[in-house]
Amino acid sequence: MIQNFISMNGYGFFVWLSFAITFLACGMLYYKTYKTLKKYEKDFAKELDQLSEAERKLVLEKSKVASQFLASYNKSI
Amino acid sequence: MFDLINPSRIFNWIEKLINFINSIFFILLIIALTFALVLSPPDYLQGDSVRIMYVHVPSAWIGLASFTAIALLSIISFIFKIKNLNLITKSIAPIGLLFTCLAIITGSLWGQPTWGTWWAWDARITSMLVLSIFYILFILAHKLIDNKDRANKVANLIAIIGLINIPVIRYSVDWWNTLHQPSSIKLDGTSSIHPSMLLPLMLMLLVLLLYCALILLMKYKTEIIRIKKKNIKRI
Repeated sequence: MIQNFISMNGYGFFVWLSFAITFLACGMLYYKTYKTLKKYEKDFAKELDQLSEAERKLVLEKSKVASQFLASYNKSI
Repeated sequence: MFDLINPSRIFNWIEKLINFINSIFFILLIIALTFALVLSPPDYLQGDSVRIMYVHVPSAWIGLASFTAIALLSIISFIFKIKNLNLITKSIAPIGLLFTCLAIITGSLWGQPTWGTWWAWDARITSMLVLSIFYILFILAHKLIDNKDRANKVANLIAIIGLINIPVIRYSVDWWNTLHQPSSIKLDGTSSIHPSMLLPLMLMLLVLLLYCALILLMKYKTEIIRIKKKNIKRI
């Protein structure tokens, strides 16, 4: 039964390869996107951290995204 | 209405949506794969090779839908000059390219056992290849042109020109005598596919759409952070 499932009545090579290529390609795009996002998050957090107290206060007041980002980033680490 | 896509308004939602999709994705994937590879019956003519349809068809649909979305957003962006739309189209493009390429590759893997050939210069297959070229040009425009405004304009123009190819792909099987079979699923309710195959197909489509949403949100978030990082010095 398992052998039948793997061989797919002679079409196993084509079926399994199609699914494997699809999930491998999706996995690779996910990994690349995730890595890039984390890199930008880390760099942005580092840049915010390097600002003086007054500068950071000004940035967080003026940029809603920066304040939301910092809140979620601090929660995640 | 366009304020709804303002990064400051949706930044928090992006994180929540990413977490939500992550929490349900693997359960849905396992269910969809069980239906596609185990529970759905083999086709009476094509046998088990029909299972390739469960990755091929959703990939082709997503490739087409992504480009249509990019082109329509490009038109809106051209008319209303909304820069955020360019961030969205830029984020959709790699997803669309991936799925267009997957549709071509899995189609080739399906073609060999059913038609006896990996490739044919058939209207449907060739027009899908043209679509992938439009995607590549769109992505290259953003990568190679340094001036962002100019890059957006060129990329939008490529998307709008490429929109002509979408009806060609859709109706190629009706307009020309092609090796590719005509559509089995029609929106007017005259679909010729059996429900036992339609269910796994829809499940796989749902899973791949969730994956697309996940990548789009992650890419959009990256773009927002990249811009805010650049603007930090100006503040």
